[in-house]
This record gives sequence, structure tokens and C-alpha cells, in this order.
Amino acid sequence: MIPTLWVIATLTFFLMRAAPGGPFQSEREIPAAAKEQLLRQYGLDKPLAEQYVRFLVNAVRLDFGPSYKYPTQQVRDIILTSFPVSLELGLWALLFSLALGVPIGVLAASRQNTGFDYGAMASTLLGVSVPNFVLGPLLVLLFSLTLYWLPPALWITPADRILPVLTLSAIYLAYIARLTRGGMLETLKQDYIRTARAKGLPESRVIFGHAFKLGILPVVSYLGPAVARIVMGSIVIEQIFAIPGLGRHLVSAAFNRDYTLVLGIVIFYAGFLMVLNLLVDVAYAWLDPRVELA
Amino acid sequence: MSARGGSLWSDAWRRLKKNRMAVASGWALVAIAALCMLAPWVPGLRDPNATDFQLGVTGPAWQHWMGTDLLGRDMLARVIYGGRISILVGIVGTFVSLVIGVSYGAISAYAGGKVDEAMMRGVDVLYSLPYIFLVILLLTVFTKSLLLLFIALGAVQWLTMARIVRGQVLSLKHQNFVEAARALGAGDLRIIFGHIVPNTLGPVIVYTTLTIPAIILQEAFLSFLGLGVQPPDASWGVLVAEGAQMLAFFPWLTLFPGVALALTLFAFNFLGDGLRDALDPQDRKVAA
Amino acid sequence: MNAPDKNRAQRFWLIAVLIAFELGLVVVACVGRRANTPGPASAKDYFGNVAPPRGQVFTFNNGAEPEHLDPAVMSGQPDGRVARLVFEGLVSSDPKTLAATPGQAYRWDLSDDRKTYTFHLRPGLQWADGQALTAQDFVWSWRRVLSPATGSRYANFLYPIKNAEAFNRGELADSSQVGVAAPDDSTFVVTLENPTAYFLEIAAFYTALPTPRHLVEKLGSNWESAHNLMGNGPFRIVEWRQKDRFVFVPNDRYWDRANVRLTKIVALPIEEVSTSTNLYKAGVLDWNPSGYVPKQVIPFIQKFKDFSGGPFHAVYFYSMVVTRKPFDNVWVRRALNYAIDREAIAKYVLKGTVRAWGNITPAGYTGYDAPAPLRYDPVQARECLAKAGYPGGKGFPKIEILFNTSEDNRRIAEAVQAMWKRELNLSVTLTNQEWASFQAATTARQYDVARRSWIGDYMDPNTFLDMWQTGNGNNRTGWGDPRYDALLRGATREPDTARRLAMLSQAEAILLADGPEIPIYHYTESSLIKPYVRGIYSTMLDVHPLTHVWIDHGGKDGDAVAAAPRAAPEAAPQAEGRP
Repeated sequence: MIPTLWVIATLTFFLMRAAPGGPFQSEREIPAAAKEQLLRQYGLDKPLAEQYVRFLVNAVRLDFGPSYKYPTQQVRDIILTSFPVSLELGLWALLFSLALGVPIGVLAASRQNTGFDYGAMASTLLGVSVPNFVLGPLLVLLFSLTLYWLPPALWITPADRILPVLTLSAIYLAYIARLTRGGMLETLKQDYIRTARAKGLPESRVIFGHAFKLGILPVVSYLGPAVARIVMGSIVIEQIFAIPGLGRHLVSAAFNRDYTLVLGIVIFYAGFLMVLNLLVDVAYAWLDPRVELA
Repeated sequence: MSARGGSLWSDAWRRLKKNRMAVASGWALVAIAALCMLAPWVPGLRDPNATDFQLGVTGPAWQHWMGTDLLGRDMLARVIYGGRISILVGIVGTFVSLVIGVSYGAISAYAGGKVDEAMMRGVDVLYSLPYIFLVILLLTVFTKSLLLLFIALGAVQWLTMARIVRGQVLSLKHQNFVEAARALGAGDLRIIFGHIVPNTLGPVIVYTTLTIPAIILQEAFLSFLGLGVQPPDASWGVLVAEGAQMLAFFPWLTLFPGVALALTLFAFNFLGDGLRDALDPQDRKVAA
Repeated sequence: MNAPDKNRAQRFWLIAVLIAFELGLVVVACVGRRANTPGPASAKDYFGNVAPPRGQVFTFNNGAEPEHLDPAVMSGQPDGRVARLVFEGLVSSDPKTLAATPGQAYRWDLSDDRKTYTFHLRPGLQWADGQALTAQDFVWSWRRVLSPATGSRYANFLYPIKNAEAFNRGELADSSQVGVAAPDDSTFVVTLENPTAYFLEIAAFYTALPTPRHLVEKLGSNWESAHNLMGNGPFRIVEWRQKDRFVFVPNDRYWDRANVRLTKIVALPIEEVSTSTNLYKAGVLDWNPSGYVPKQVIPFIQKFKDFSGGPFHAVYFYSMVVTRKPFDNVWVRRALNYAIDREAIAKYVLKGTVRAWGNITPAGYTGYDAPAPLRYDPVQARECLAKAGYPGGKGFPKIEILFNTSEDNRRIAEAVQAMWKRELNLSVTLTNQEWASFQAATTARQYDVARRSWIGDYMDPNTFLDMWQTGNGNNRTGWGDPRYDALLRGATREPDTARRLAMLSQAEAILLADGPEIPIYHYTESSLIKPYVRGIYSTMLDVHPLTHVWIDHGGKDGDAVAAAPRAAPEAAPQAEGRP
């Protein structure tokens, strides 16, 4: 984990330094005194090697210094205030896709080859194919700009959450439904399920008591990549809905050549994703005793 | 042709043919791809870059089936040419990842032992890098070139391909036909690429069919953020992004390319599903 | 179930889902389209949802997250708007005409030689934390702006003050030599180098806002964090989250608190024009200021009553690097100018949303007789090109137009490229760069022809002309003419207004005849404002004091206030000697 983080940090650091143009350009000329002052303030006047070492040392303490574009704000503060927003968005999306996706998958599996099954599978296949940046604007057009039911952007009132969460979760809902169905179908074919049925257990007990725990495994192993994708997908959602989360900051920081902010966010994200993957591995091991933790 | 070839392929083909919807998707894709690739020779199709400032935006009508955009360009032509770029990016990107991934995975598995471990470690590390951030960085820092885009897109997909191929090769490398080839004096490379890889084609084909839409989607996503294909070239992602600017006023500018994109991805996914079912009806658990 | 039945059922469901999806899309598109055409009913005359907010709460888009909140350092509209809410200067601006109105100073006098302003501050002024505000605060604040260590972006605004430039450039070390003084707590005296007609406008600009010495000295640069910021203006910040919003409530210690009717202001930092417009349409924003209405849709929303438009104090032009061939030849520059059909660009490329313009200075200067504008004359263009030594375009090198990435810039560049080809047979390429790189390139003069623009900061021709002096940092072309520099310097010292403006006009004539710039269009401002908002008007400088804005719940479907005709610039007073 640490070596990967180090690779990311180093790569990002040098990439940002290689970028043309600095963060201090504007249509108006900045007086030389002001420019020098800025360079000194950010330590950009020191040699590159020294900057790099300084950066690594501070990164360990999560201290990335002030943002270039907004010099009165510390990168750490920006990350810590915007990360909860992204987290909330991601969690709602995940919860929603699990809360709807799993039941749909289970039902489809238990009613295999019926109308419900085909309808669900066709819809989910469609859900997987419509990109979120197509779905989002469409939902906004209908519910916001035509019916005036829901707000088209921002993250202030509870109503603001609805469209972004819907848009973000659509694709994962579809995946999870399909995976659940697949996993359940596999499990339901097993011998011990036949035994349970032969023993006269009611169908619901068979499904939820026995098949579910193993049938859900593909979903759990998907959760790792799912969360990673939700994090990446949220970047676009945050752009579309003007949500002040980490992704939005990242994109504008990259365009603004805001070195310190980009570095901070990339490293933070990377670390977060790794922690998450670790948690997922643990959950998987707990659910399926046959799996060994690496 | 190797030992297991005959019955595996004809079985799969038969199963696939029975899945009429997958076959239909396949034909649909062929039609879409043909239309897009042959766009310059389609009679009656306007130049997608021909502007008509005085006309400006119009809605769908007889002269312009999908309307015109802000510069008076015919949307139908733009959507079709956009498909050309999107599909081209998808195919080239997939090809890149295919070549790298298959070679890497095959060599790693065949070599075995420490070499295999080291190579797969590399894959693990690369896999865990949050590629999207690096792509955003790369594309922002350096001028947004098509070449860089292909590299960025192919760069992640090959990892999964390598893993899949490695798994297959591992199970194949001790088969009799390999021993036989070696006994006949064939060199390692010849064995890998001449004998083993052809037998891994099943999963590779399936995965390829699923990689193309993934790459198309990634390119569209990057274009939406302004980092992908640059104007005047316009892929579907660029068209959707352009249209989304004017969403409140001219929704069809987003709608048509969006639908084209969704339908194409849908067809690919459906075909991929069908192929997967046909080649290994047991293998339903593999996440796309 | 046998295989054929299974297949059929699958197919049915698949097709059903696909059809439902398509139908849904078609419905959405049609409904979306119809909702945009204004119908006969009154609510349809406006663009979007016109239900007013509850109470006196005003929400608008500030456009971007401010980089700085310290008035002495900041630059840019988003920063400036916040500063004008939290601080107040000696003078304020009238919301309609932008004329100087009493702010912290209730009256001011001008000496006979027009070089000394005496401002009389109101009694009992306080900062928001209760500390008294005196004339010494202004002295300290303005000295701080000029101090090199502060790194102010707009210190040059205060250069008309005696010794200000020398102090700011570091040539003078003693700040007490700068022409600002406070003989007592309520009198602030400014001594200028030369008579400056637009000085009151400078005093109203955000760089001249007072800053609280006791806070700045205590907290250092942390004082400008939104959590700490404290001023003397009509509002104060109660809530702030980065890239999320600012929330302001009235400052109870403001001298005119009784006339502030809003109870809350919410400022959002949304850069995307489409999102801002969507929020306006949905009714979340009450005001979508100029720059956040997509230009391409202006022809479609001009018919709505809540659309407000008027000229804006800025010019769009191209500049040429004269140290590069073939632009070092003045006949080439003239030829390129004559070959451009500005009317066509304004009408067709920009759909009539801007005015074609052939001068460097914009419209609206009282008493200023601008020289004849550059015009479209293809015959002249070809003659000039021949005189330059490239008859019929033969032998003319390939040149490149550089612009910062934007659809509009591209379309204009394409039009210019087509015109130069058609009229002069020149081969032109286009290239675009994103903002930061573009700025670097133009500063370093790494271009042939580049798209530029200039926004005037105060209503005087000088703001558009002084950048073209030899060596000025905003020149970026390598052009310089001693006659031009002499005229501008002379104008700075000239006390008689008429003579001064005449000199500036002569300078502009030189610029138009020989200069490195190709003016293209005059900006307009276009914004959307809900019919229930009172107190915001279209102004040339796009400055909108929000102090006296209020929400009219009266329910009358009155004219959008912004549609009221703007006061003509003649009304902008030369405030010399008048309180």
C-alpha cells in the first residue's frame, strides 16, 4: 500500500511541475513585487529537489500547504470539508443501489424465466448502457426545468440530493441486480439447497436463510471496484450538479494548475481507496470462510 | 488447429445462434459500425463541419432529421461521424490493450515462478492506481492529443486482459499438446503464440467485446469533462457535452448523440453477454 | 419452458423496455422544447419559475469561488462583489448610474487646482466588531495597498495620488510621503499628482476599500479567511463553505442599517454557465449576472421580460506582435484591419448579441470625441497589402491566430480566417490553449495574432489607452510610439478636461492608424433577473451595489426593473467640487 501511494505522490508531483503556465496568470499584469511575494510564500523559489523532499515530509502529516488558487485556504481544510460531501453522495448512491438492486436480483432469481425476470434483466442491461452524464441531464430536464419539482443542482436542501443520487446509482443498481441474480442462481443449483427444500423448509427460508449468504458473494467482491467506480463517477455527477465535493475540486484544480490542491486530493483519494479495498477483502473473508486473506 | 478446437467452437457457435437477440445485436452493431465508418461515402449525408451561421439551431425537421446545432451544422451527420470517432477510439484502444494484455499475460504465465510473480505484482500495483486521476492530470498537463488519449484508455484495460489470459495459460501450459510441440523442437515463443494463445481465444473474445464499450464509455466520459477528443473532431461524448450546455433550450442536441451512445453500448453489452453464455454457459458469475 | 418460448419472451421484454425508453426520451424532448416558448399567460413571459422566495432572501450566482477577500490584494468580479458587501469606501455608487454617492464620507470638497480632495467622514462610524472607524483607517489602508510587501494587484489604481507610484515601486521608502493624510478623525485628505477627472470612481473601486488595522495586525494574512473577515459595510458573512456558498446577513453597526431591507443574501460560486442558467430557470437563483447567460441562447431569450441587456464597458480585439514579420510592417497591419467585416461577425457569428466596433475605446465617454473607427474596406485592404510588398497575398508567410479555448473565440477566429483568405488570399491557421497557458504565451509574446479583450475599470478613456504605452505589462505586442507615450503623459498632467480629452483622442487616432490591435466588437452585458427583484439595473461597468435591493412580494406582474432604460452616460457626473 505505501509504495503505491509513494509512486502516485511522486508521479503527480512531477507531472504538475512539468505543466506549462503557472498559477499566477491573469489578463492583467501582476506587479513583479507581488509575484515574488507569491513565489516565496509557496516555496516555489527553492530548488526542485528540496521542494520534493519538503513535500513528502509534509504529506505524511497530511499538510499540503495552502492552495495556489485560493491562498487563504489550506489544502487540508478544503479536503476535509469537501470529502464528507462526496462521501455522503457516494454512500447514498451505494445504499440506494444495494437497497433496490439486491431485492430485484433475488426476486429475479427466484422467479427465473418469468416476465419479471426478463423485464428486470432488460432494464438493467439498459441501465448499464446509459452513461451517467447522459442520464443526469435528462433527469434534470424533466424534473427540474419542466416540472419544477426538484432542484437542478447544488447540495443544500434534502431535495437537492435526489437527482444526483439517482443518477449516480443507476449503473451500479443495474450491475448489482445482475450480479445478485447470477450469484443466487448459481447457489440455488447447489445440492444443499435441494436438501433444504426436500426437508420441507419454506421457500423464503431457503432463499434468505441458506442461499443468500453465498449468493451475495459476487456482489461483495464487486463492492470494492464498485466503490472505486462510484468515487470516479461522482466526479462527473459533481460537475453536472455543481456539488461541492472532492471530485469537483479536483477537476477545477487540475484546470487551474493548482499544484498543491491536486497533489493533496490525489493522494487522499488513493489512500482512501486502498483502505476501502482492504475493508472489502475483510468482509469477503468473513462471508466466505473458504477464502483466505492474502 | 489444436486438440480442443473443433467441438468447442462449433458448440459455442450453435448456442450463440440460438440466442436470437444476441445475434440481432451483432447485426445491429455491424450496421452501425458500417454506417459510421463508411460515412464519407454515404449518399446524401451532409458535411458535419459545414457551418451555417444564419441558420443556427433548428429542431428535427424534414431537411435535417436530427436538427442543427448552434453553428448550423447538421446533427445527423455529426452523430454519424461522431460514431465514427467513438467506435474507432473503442476499437483501437481495445486493440492496444489486447496486444499488450495478451502478450503480457501469456508470457508471465508461461514463464512461471518468480518471473510470473514479479510481473503480476506489477499488474497489481498498476491496478490499484486511481487511473482516472492520472488520466485527468496527464491530459491537462500535456496537450490533448489523440495519441495520448489512446494510451490512457488502453493503459488500464490491458491489466484485466492480462489477468484473464494468464489464468487461461496457466491451466493450459501443462497440456499434452504443449509437450508435444516442445518435443518437436518448437521454441518458447512459438509455443506461446502459436499454440497456447489460440486456445485462450474464448474468454479473450468475450472480454474484447466487453472492452470496446468500456473504452467508448471512458472516452465519452473524458470528452464530457473536456479532456478527450478536441473540436472540431467530435465523438459522441463531445456531442453530449456540447448539447448539455444548452440543455434547458435545445434538449435534442444532447438527446440524439446520447441515445446513439446508449444504444451502441447496449448492443455491445448484449452481444458480450450472449457470447459469454455461448462459450461457457456455467460462467455467469464473472462481473462485467 | 422450451427454448423457442424462452427466446420469444426474452425478446418481448427487451423490445418493450427499449420502446419505453425511447418514448420516454421523446416525451422529455418535446415537453422540454415546448416549455421554452413563451405563451400568452403572464408567467410564460418570463424564463422559468417566477415564484418569489419566502421573505427578503436574495440568492445569486457569484460565478466563481473568490481567490482573495482582502480588498487590498484582490482582483476579479467574484472577489469584488463580496468585498462590496462586507466593506464600504469613502464613496458608493448609485445602482442606476454608478455616479458617486456618499458612502463613509457624507461630503467632499475639491481644491481650486483640482489636486486635493477633502473627504468628510460621518460621525460615529464603526467596524462590525464595534471598534471606531476613523480617517486614520483610510490612511493606513491606502498606504497598505501601495506597500510593495502587500503584493496588491491593483496598486496602480492609486497611482494618481502623489508619490504613490514611487512608493509602490520601491523608489520611495517613506510611506508618509504619499499624498494621504488625516488631519483629524473625520477628515481624510488626498493630494494628487495631477488633476484626475475619474478620481471619485477610483475611490469607489474595491481596492480603495478600508481594511481593519486592528484585525490585520492581529491575524496577519489569516484575517481574510471568510471565518475571520470583518468590515464596515452593509453586510457581514455568517456562513461560508468553499465552492459551496457564502451567506450574508445585515451588519447591525452599518450607519445606514435602517435602509437595508434584505435579511439574507446567498452567493453561489457556480462557474458553469449552463448550470447557472438551469438554477435560474428552476427558481433557485433570483439573479443570473452577466457572463453566466450562455451567449448563444441570447437571441432566444431576448424576448423574455426578465432578460436585461445593455452595452458593457469592454472591447474584444486581436493584437499582433510587431517584432515578428510580417507584422512589423504598418501596411500589413492596416491591410489586416481593413479586411475584416466586423458587422458580419457581430450579426452572424455572435447573432447580434454584441456591437461591431472599430475603436479601441468603448462608447459612452462624456465629452470624448473618439477618432473615426476602423472600417471594412476590402479594396483599401488589398491596396495596403500591395504597398506592404505582398500584392495579391503573394509571398505572405503563413500566420496563426491564437485564442483561449472557447466556442465563441473559435467561431470568430474561423470567420476572421475566412475573411483574410477571401479578401487578401492569406493562409491562416488557428490554435487554442487553455487559459493559463494562453496567458503565459501572450505575456511572453509567443504568438502572431492573439485574441484579447480589455475591460475598463473606470469611465475614462485612459483606462483603455494607457496599456498601449511602450513597455506596459498589458501591451504584450512590442509596439511602442514615442508620440503616443508623450500624448498620454501630457494628458495625465493636463488640468483642462476638454484639452485632456482631445489629447487622448489624438493618441487613439495614432493607435488606430499604426497600432498593433484589431478591434472587433463592443461587449454587451446580458443577465437574467426575476421580476420580483428590485434595485438591480443594467450598468456599463457591470457593478451592482446590493445594499438597497429588496424582494417585492406585492404580486404585481410589474416590468422587470432591469428593463428600465439605463441612464445615458451623460448623467455620470464629473463630481469635481460637488458633494
